[in-house]
Amino acid sequence: MSELTPGRRAELLEQRLVEHGHVHPDDLDAAVAAAESPAGDQPSTALGARVVARAWAEPDFRDRLVAQPVETLSEYVPQPVPIAVLVDTPTLHHVIVCTLCSCYPSALLGNPPAWYKSFEYRSLVVREPRAVLAEFGTELDPGVEIRVHDSTAEQRYLVLPLRPGGTDGWSQEQLARLVTRNSMIGTGRPLPPAGAAASG
Amino acid sequence: MDGVHDLGGMHGFGSIPVEADDEPIFHQPWEGRVWAISATTMRRTTIDRFRWHIEQMPPAAYLISSYYARWLWAVERLAAEQGLLDGPASVPVAPRPPSSTPRWNGRFRPGQPVRVANRVTAGHCRVPRYLRRQVGRVERVACAWPNPGESAARGTYGEPELVYTVVFAAEDLFGPGADHVLSADLSERDLEAP
Repeated sequence: MSELTPGRRAELLEQRLVEHGHVHPDDLDAAVAAAESPAGDQPSTALGARVVARAWAEPDFRDRLVAQPVETLSEYVPQPVPIAVLVDTPTLHHVIVCTLCSCYPSALLGNPPAWYKSFEYRSLVVREPRAVLAEFGTELDPGVEIRVHDSTAEQRYLVLPLRPGGTDGWSQEQLARLVTRNSMIGTGRPLPPAGAAASG
Repeated sequence: MDGVHDLGGMHGFGSIPVEADDEPIFHQPWEGRVWAISATTMRRTTIDRFRWHIEQMPPAAYLISSYYARWLWAVERLAAEQGLLDGPASVPVAPRPPSSTPRWNGRFRPGQPVRVANRVTAGHCRVPRYLRRQVGRVERVACAWPNPGESAARGTYGEPELVYTVVFAAEDLFGPGADHVLSADLSERDLEAP
Protein backbone atom coordinates (compact mmCIF):
# COMPACT_ATOMS: atom_id res chain seq x y z
CA MET A 1 0.00 0.00 0.00
CA SER A 2 2.87 2.36 0.67
CA GLU A 3 3.48 2.91 -3.06
CA LEU A 4 0.06 4.53 -3.41
CA THR A 5 -0.40 8.22 -2.69
CA PRO A 6 -1.71 9.10 0.78
CA GLY A 7 -4.92 10.32 -0.84
CA ARG A 8 -5.52 6.96 -2.52
CA ARG A 9 -4.63 5.04 0.64
CA ALA A 10 -7.07 7.17 2.66
CA GLU A 11 -9.76 6.40 0.08
CA LEU A 12 -9.13 2.65 0.28
CA LEU A 13 -9.08 2.74 4.07
CA GLU A 14 -12.38 4.60 4.17
CA GLN A 15 -13.96 2.12 1.72
CA ARG A 16 -12.97 -0.85 3.87
CA LEU A 17 -14.21 0.78 7.07
CA VAL A 18 -17.52 1.74 5.43
CA GLU A 19 -17.91 -1.77 4.04
CA HIS A 20 -17.68 -3.23 7.55
CA GLY A 21 -19.86 -0.56 9.14
CA HIS A 22 -17.18 1.17 11.23
CA VAL A 23 -17.62 4.61 9.69
CA HIS A 24 -20.32 6.32 7.64
CA PRO A 25 -19.26 8.83 4.95
CA ASP A 26 -21.92 11.32 6.08
CA ASP A 27 -20.51 11.28 9.62
CA LEU A 28 -17.00 11.90 8.27
CA ASP A 29 -18.31 14.79 6.15
CA ALA A 30 -19.99 16.29 9.20
CA ALA A 31 -16.88 15.90 11.38
CA VAL A 32 -14.65 17.59 8.78
CA ALA A 33 -17.16 20.41 8.26
CA ALA A 34 -17.41 20.99 12.02
CA ALA A 35 -13.61 21.09 12.36
CA GLU A 36 -13.29 23.53 9.45
CA SER A 37 -16.10 25.82 10.63
CA PRO A 38 -16.49 25.28 14.37
CA ALA A 39 -19.71 26.41 16.03
CA GLY A 40 -19.46 29.07 18.74
CA ASP A 41 -19.47 26.58 21.60
CA GLN A 42 -16.94 24.23 19.96
CA PRO A 43 -13.14 24.32 20.37
CA SER A 44 -11.71 27.15 18.28
CA THR A 45 -9.52 30.22 18.41
CA ALA A 46 -12.68 32.26 18.95
CA LEU A 47 -13.66 30.21 22.00
CA GLY A 48 -10.15 30.57 23.46
CA ALA A 49 -10.30 34.30 22.82
CA ARG A 50 -13.57 34.56 24.75
CA VAL A 51 -11.96 32.82 27.72
CA VAL A 52 -8.89 35.07 27.64
CA ALA A 53 -10.99 38.22 27.33
CA ARG A 54 -13.11 37.18 30.31
CA ALA A 55 -9.96 36.45 32.33
CA TRP A 56 -8.73 39.97 31.53
CA ALA A 57 -12.04 41.54 32.49
CA GLU A 58 -13.03 39.49 35.54
CA PRO A 59 -10.31 38.96 38.20
CA ASP A 60 -12.40 36.32 40.00
CA PHE A 61 -12.75 34.32 36.80
CA ARG A 62 -9.03 34.68 36.10
CA ASP A 63 -8.16 33.34 39.57
CA ARG A 64 -10.51 30.40 39.14
CA LEU A 65 -9.14 29.70 35.64
CA VAL A 66 -5.59 29.56 36.96
CA ALA A 67 -6.39 27.59 40.13
CA GLN A 68 -8.88 25.11 38.59
CA PRO A 69 -8.27 25.17 34.85
CA VAL A 70 -9.85 21.81 33.98
CA GLU A 71 -13.05 22.52 35.89
CA THR A 72 -13.29 26.13 34.72
CA LEU A 73 -12.67 25.42 31.04
CA SER A 74 -15.05 22.45 31.20
CA GLU A 75 -17.82 24.98 31.82
CA TYR A 76 -17.24 25.98 28.18
CA VAL A 77 -16.31 22.68 26.57
CA PRO A 78 -15.23 19.28 27.97
CA GLN A 79 -11.51 18.92 28.75
CA PRO A 80 -10.65 15.23 28.40
CA VAL A 81 -6.94 15.92 29.04
CA PRO A 82 -5.50 17.92 31.97
CA ILE A 83 -4.84 21.54 31.01
CA ALA A 84 -2.99 24.32 32.83
CA VAL A 85 -2.97 28.08 32.28
CA LEU A 86 0.36 29.89 31.92
CA VAL A 87 0.10 33.52 32.99
CA ASP A 88 2.36 35.98 31.18
CA THR A 89 3.71 38.92 33.16
CA PRO A 90 5.74 41.97 32.08
CA THR A 91 8.91 39.97 32.84
CA LEU A 92 7.83 36.41 31.89
CA HIS A 93 6.70 35.16 28.49
CA HIS A 94 5.44 31.61 27.97
CA VAL A 95 5.52 29.64 24.74
CA ILE A 96 4.32 26.07 24.13
CA VAL A 97 5.54 23.29 21.85
CA CYS A 98 5.45 19.53 21.51
CA THR A 99 8.87 18.32 20.34
CA LEU A 100 7.84 14.64 20.22
CA CYS A 101 4.58 14.91 18.26
CA SER A 102 1.93 17.66 18.16
CA CYS A 103 0.29 17.99 21.60
CA TYR A 104 -1.82 21.14 21.64
CA PRO A 105 -4.75 22.49 23.70
CA SER A 106 -7.12 21.18 21.02
CA ALA A 107 -10.01 20.71 23.44
CA LEU A 108 -10.13 24.50 23.74
CA LEU A 109 -8.49 25.90 20.58
CA GLY A 110 -9.33 23.23 17.98
CA ASN A 111 -6.80 21.77 15.56
CA PRO A 112 -3.28 23.19 15.73
CA PRO A 113 -1.87 25.24 12.86
CA ALA A 114 0.47 23.45 10.45
CA TRP A 115 3.54 25.37 11.59
CA TYR A 116 3.00 24.17 15.17
CA LYS A 117 3.33 20.57 13.92
CA SER A 118 6.29 21.30 11.65
CA PHE A 119 9.76 19.82 12.12
CA GLU A 120 11.13 23.36 11.95
CA TYR A 121 9.17 24.62 14.98
CA ARG A 122 9.42 21.40 17.00
CA SER A 123 13.20 21.21 16.65
CA LEU A 124 14.18 24.83 17.18
CA VAL A 125 11.89 26.59 19.65
CA VAL A 126 13.26 24.72 22.68
CA ARG A 127 16.76 25.76 21.69
CA GLU A 128 16.45 29.26 20.25
CA PRO A 129 13.06 30.65 21.27
CA ARG A 130 14.02 34.28 20.75
CA ALA A 131 15.03 33.57 17.16
CA VAL A 132 11.84 31.57 16.54
CA LEU A 133 9.61 34.26 18.04
CA ALA A 134 11.37 36.80 15.85
CA GLU A 135 10.28 34.76 12.81
CA PHE A 136 6.71 35.43 13.93
CA GLY A 137 7.51 39.12 14.25
CA THR A 138 7.50 38.88 18.04
CA GLU A 139 10.45 40.71 19.55
CA LEU A 140 10.89 40.48 23.32
CA ASP A 141 12.87 42.80 25.52
CA PRO A 142 16.13 41.10 26.63
CA GLY A 143 14.95 41.44 30.23
CA VAL A 144 11.90 39.27 29.63
CA GLU A 145 12.43 35.64 30.64
CA ILE A 146 11.17 33.14 28.10
CA ARG A 147 9.81 29.89 29.42
CA VAL A 148 9.35 27.19 26.78
CA HIS A 149 6.92 24.41 27.75
CA ASP A 150 7.54 21.12 25.98
CA SER A 151 4.23 19.19 26.12
CA THR A 152 5.81 15.83 26.88
CA ALA A 153 2.90 14.39 28.87
CA GLU A 154 -0.91 14.44 28.90
CA GLN A 155 -0.82 17.97 30.22
CA ARG A 156 -1.95 20.73 27.88
CA TYR A 157 -1.30 24.44 28.19
CA LEU A 158 -3.08 27.68 27.43
CA VAL A 159 -1.05 30.89 27.51
CA LEU A 160 -2.86 33.80 29.14
CA PRO A 161 -1.20 36.75 27.41
CA LEU A 162 -0.84 40.25 28.82
CA ARG A 163 -3.84 42.47 28.32
CA PRO A 164 -2.89 45.25 25.90
CA GLY A 165 -2.70 48.74 27.38
CA GLY A 166 -5.24 51.32 26.31
CA THR A 167 -8.17 48.94 26.66
CA ASP A 168 -9.68 50.20 29.93
CA GLY A 169 -13.43 49.95 29.90
CA TRP A 170 -13.54 47.69 26.85
CA SER A 171 -16.23 45.05 26.74
CA GLN A 172 -15.28 41.38 26.65
CA GLU A 173 -16.47 41.23 23.05
CA GLN A 174 -14.09 44.04 22.13
CA LEU A 175 -11.22 42.48 24.08
CA ALA A 176 -11.76 39.07 22.47
CA ARG A 177 -11.11 40.59 19.05
CA LEU A 178 -7.55 41.39 20.16
CA VAL A 179 -6.76 37.79 21.13
CA THR A 180 -4.97 35.92 18.36
CA ARG A 181 -4.37 32.20 18.21
CA ASN A 182 -0.61 32.74 18.36
CA SER A 183 -0.96 34.87 21.50
CA MET A 184 -2.50 31.82 23.23
CA ILE A 185 0.43 29.64 22.05
CA GLY A 186 3.05 32.24 22.90
CA THR A 187 4.53 32.88 19.46
CA GLY A 188 2.60 36.13 19.18
CA ARG A 189 1.03 38.88 21.24
CA PRO A 190 -2.55 40.13 21.29
CA LEU A 191 -3.31 42.78 18.67
CA PRO A 192 -2.72 46.39 19.69
CA PRO A 193 -5.97 48.26 20.47
CA ALA A 194 -5.44 50.78 17.70
CA GLY A 195 -6.19 48.34 14.89
CA ALA A 196 -9.22 46.77 16.51
CA ALA A 197 -10.86 49.75 18.24
CA ALA A 198 -12.55 50.99 15.10
CA SER A 199 -14.27 47.66 14.52
CA GLY A 200 -15.03 47.31 18.25
CA MET B 1 12.74 4.87 21.81
CA ASP B 2 15.58 6.81 20.30
CA GLY B 3 13.62 7.73 17.21
CA VAL B 4 13.62 10.31 14.47
CA HIS B 5 10.45 11.82 15.95
CA ASP B 6 12.49 13.13 18.90
CA LEU B 7 13.34 16.45 17.27
CA GLY B 8 13.83 18.83 20.20
CA GLY B 9 17.06 20.83 19.96
CA MET B 10 18.08 19.64 16.50
CA HIS B 11 19.58 22.08 14.02
CA GLY B 12 19.13 22.26 10.29
CA PHE B 13 15.39 22.10 9.63
CA GLY B 14 15.24 25.72 8.53
CA SER B 15 12.89 28.60 9.10
CA ILE B 16 9.36 28.13 10.47
CA PRO B 17 6.66 27.75 7.76
CA VAL B 18 4.47 30.45 9.28
CA GLU B 19 1.03 30.79 7.70
CA ALA B 20 -1.74 33.30 8.23
CA ASP B 21 -4.08 32.80 11.20
CA ASP B 22 -6.91 31.86 8.86
CA GLU B 23 -4.99 29.11 7.07
CA PRO B 24 -7.12 26.04 6.29
CA ILE B 25 -7.05 23.26 8.90
CA PHE B 26 -6.71 20.66 6.17
CA HIS B 27 -4.59 21.45 3.13
CA GLN B 28 -5.83 18.45 1.09
CA PRO B 29 -9.29 16.84 1.23
CA TRP B 30 -7.81 13.44 2.18
CA GLU B 31 -6.23 14.99 5.30
CA GLY B 32 -9.67 15.75 6.70
CA ARG B 33 -10.83 12.19 5.92
CA VAL B 34 -7.84 10.70 7.76
CA TRP B 35 -8.42 13.01 10.72
CA ALA B 36 -12.11 12.07 10.91
CA ILE B 37 -11.46 8.34 10.42
CA SER B 38 -8.84 8.36 13.17
CA ALA B 39 -11.55 8.88 15.81
CA THR B 40 -12.89 5.40 15.07
CA THR B 41 -9.55 3.74 15.75
CA MET B 42 -8.67 6.00 18.70
CA ARG B 43 -11.70 4.80 20.66
CA ARG B 44 -10.22 1.32 20.86
CA THR B 45 -6.68 2.15 21.85
CA THR B 46 -4.54 4.68 23.72
CA ILE B 47 -3.08 7.92 22.41
CA ASP B 48 0.28 6.39 23.26
CA ARG B 49 -0.19 3.41 20.95
CA PHE B 50 -1.16 5.80 18.15
CA ARG B 51 2.08 7.72 18.74
CA TRP B 52 4.10 4.51 19.03
CA HIS B 53 2.87 3.40 15.61
CA ILE B 54 4.01 6.68 14.07
CA GLU B 55 7.37 6.26 15.76
CA GLN B 56 7.76 2.91 13.96
CA MET B 57 7.95 4.62 10.59
CA PRO B 58 11.38 4.22 9.00
CA PRO B 59 13.24 7.49 9.71
CA ALA B 60 13.58 8.46 6.05
CA ALA B 61 9.84 7.91 5.49
CA TYR B 62 8.98 9.91 8.61
CA LEU B 63 10.98 12.88 7.41
CA ILE B 64 9.45 13.02 3.92
CA SER B 65 5.86 12.35 5.03
CA SER B 66 3.44 15.18 5.72
CA TYR B 67 1.73 15.40 9.09
CA TYR B 68 -1.48 13.63 8.11
CA ALA B 69 0.46 11.09 6.04
CA ARG B 70 2.08 10.06 9.32
CA TRP B 71 -1.37 9.85 10.91
CA LEU B 72 -2.52 7.71 8.00
CA TRP B 73 0.36 5.28 8.60
CA ALA B 74 -0.78 4.84 12.23
CA VAL B 75 -4.52 4.71 11.49
CA GLU B 76 -3.98 1.98 8.86
CA ARG B 77 -2.11 -0.11 11.42
CA LEU B 78 -4.58 0.54 14.25
CA ALA B 79 -7.50 -0.38 11.98
CA ALA B 80 -5.74 -3.61 11.02
CA GLU B 81 -4.85 -4.64 14.57
CA GLN B 82 -8.38 -3.83 15.77
CA GLY B 83 -9.85 -6.08 13.07
CA LEU B 84 -11.77 -3.19 11.51
CA LEU B 85 -10.62 -3.97 7.95
CA ASP B 86 -12.14 -7.46 7.95
CA GLY B 87 -15.32 -7.38 10.03
CA PRO B 88 -16.47 -6.46 13.52
CA ALA B 89 -13.95 -4.92 15.91
CA SER B 90 -11.77 -7.49 17.66
CA VAL B 91 -10.95 -5.25 20.63
CA PRO B 92 -13.29 -3.33 22.97
CA VAL B 93 -13.48 0.42 23.48
CA ALA B 94 -10.63 1.52 25.81
CA PRO B 95 -11.93 3.65 28.73
CA ARG B 96 -10.02 6.91 29.19
CA PRO B 97 -8.51 8.04 32.50
CA PRO B 98 -10.02 11.12 34.18
CA SER B 99 -8.41 14.54 33.66
CA SER B 100 -8.88 15.61 37.28
CA THR B 101 -6.07 16.91 39.47
CA PRO B 102 -4.29 14.28 41.60
CA ARG B 103 -4.82 14.57 45.36
CA TRP B 104 -1.96 12.41 46.59
CA ASN B 105 1.69 13.19 47.35
CA GLY B 106 4.56 11.71 45.42
CA ARG B 107 8.28 11.19 45.97
CA PHE B 108 9.24 14.74 44.99
CA ARG B 109 8.33 18.20 46.26
CA PRO B 110 8.25 21.56 44.51
CA GLY B 111 11.70 23.16 44.55
CA GLN B 112 13.53 19.85 44.81
CA PRO B 113 16.35 19.13 42.31
CA VAL B 114 15.84 15.99 40.23
CA ARG B 115 17.77 14.21 37.51
CA VAL B 116 16.07 12.78 34.45
CA ALA B 117 16.72 9.06 34.35
CA ASN B 118 18.56 7.69 31.34
CA ARG B 119 16.33 4.68 30.96
CA VAL B 120 15.23 4.40 27.38
CA THR B 121 14.07 1.20 25.73
CA ALA B 122 12.98 0.50 22.17
CA GLY B 123 9.39 0.98 23.37
CA HIS B 124 7.38 4.19 23.56
CA CYS B 125 8.86 6.85 25.78
CA ARG B 126 8.00 10.49 26.48
CA VAL B 127 11.39 11.67 27.74
CA PRO B 128 12.96 13.73 24.97
CA ARG B 129 16.59 13.00 24.20
CA TYR B 130 17.71 16.54 25.02
CA LEU B 131 16.55 16.15 28.65
CA ARG B 132 18.07 12.80 29.52
CA ARG B 133 20.56 12.83 32.43
CA GLN B 134 19.89 16.54 32.95
CA VAL B 135 19.25 18.05 36.37
CA GLY B 136 16.26 20.31 36.81
CA ARG B 137 13.99 21.53 39.57
CA VAL B 138 10.49 20.33 40.35
CA GLU B 139 8.00 23.12 39.72
CA ARG B 140 4.79 21.34 40.70
CA VAL B 141 2.74 18.19 40.32
CA ALA B 142 1.21 18.56 36.88
CA CYS B 143 -1.27 15.73 36.61
CA ALA B 144 -1.70 12.01 36.97
CA TRP B 145 -1.80 9.79 33.91
CA PRO B 146 -1.10 6.14 33.09
CA ASN B 147 2.43 5.24 32.04
CA PRO B 148 2.91 6.01 28.32
CA GLY B 149 5.17 3.02 27.61
CA GLU B 150 2.70 0.57 29.12
CA SER B 151 -0.30 2.26 27.50
CA ALA B 152 1.44 2.01 24.12
CA ALA B 153 2.34 -1.64 24.56
CA ARG B 154 -1.10 -2.74 25.83
CA GLY B 155 -3.42 -0.43 23.98
CA THR B 156 -5.31 0.15 27.23
CA TYR B 157 -4.78 2.58 30.11
CA GLY B 158 -3.55 1.39 33.50
CA GLU B 159 -3.47 3.17 36.84
CA PRO B 160 -2.54 6.88 36.81
CA GLU B 161 0.94 7.87 37.99
CA LEU B 162 2.15 11.29 39.03
CA VAL B 163 3.58 13.59 36.39
CA TYR B 164 5.72 16.53 37.48
CA THR B 165 6.47 19.78 35.74
CA VAL B 166 10.26 20.14 35.88
CA VAL B 167 12.17 23.25 34.84
CA PHE B 168 15.68 23.34 33.41
CA ALA B 169 18.13 26.15 32.68
CA ALA B 170 18.49 26.18 28.89
CA GLU B 171 22.18 26.98 29.36
CA ASP B 172 22.62 23.52 30.94
CA LEU B 173 20.92 21.89 27.97
CA PHE B 174 22.20 23.90 25.04
CA GLY B 175 25.25 25.75 26.25
CA PRO B 176 26.27 29.33 26.90
CA GLY B 177 24.07 31.96 25.31
CA ALA B 178 20.80 30.14 25.93
CA ASP B 179 19.14 32.40 28.50
CA HIS B 180 15.65 30.90 28.67
CA VAL B 181 14.00 28.28 30.86
CA LEU B 182 12.79 24.95 29.57
CA SER B 183 9.81 23.26 31.21
CA ALA B 184 8.71 19.66 30.60
CA ASP B 185 6.25 17.22 32.15
CA LEU B 186 7.89 14.00 33.31
CA SER B 187 6.61 10.84 34.98
CA GLU B 188 7.73 10.08 38.49
CA ARG B 189 9.43 6.90 37.32
CA ASP B 190 11.58 8.90 34.88
CA LEU B 191 12.98 11.07 37.67
CA GLU B 192 15.59 10.32 40.35
CA ALA B 193 17.55 12.13 43.05
CA PRO B 194 20.48 14.01 41.41
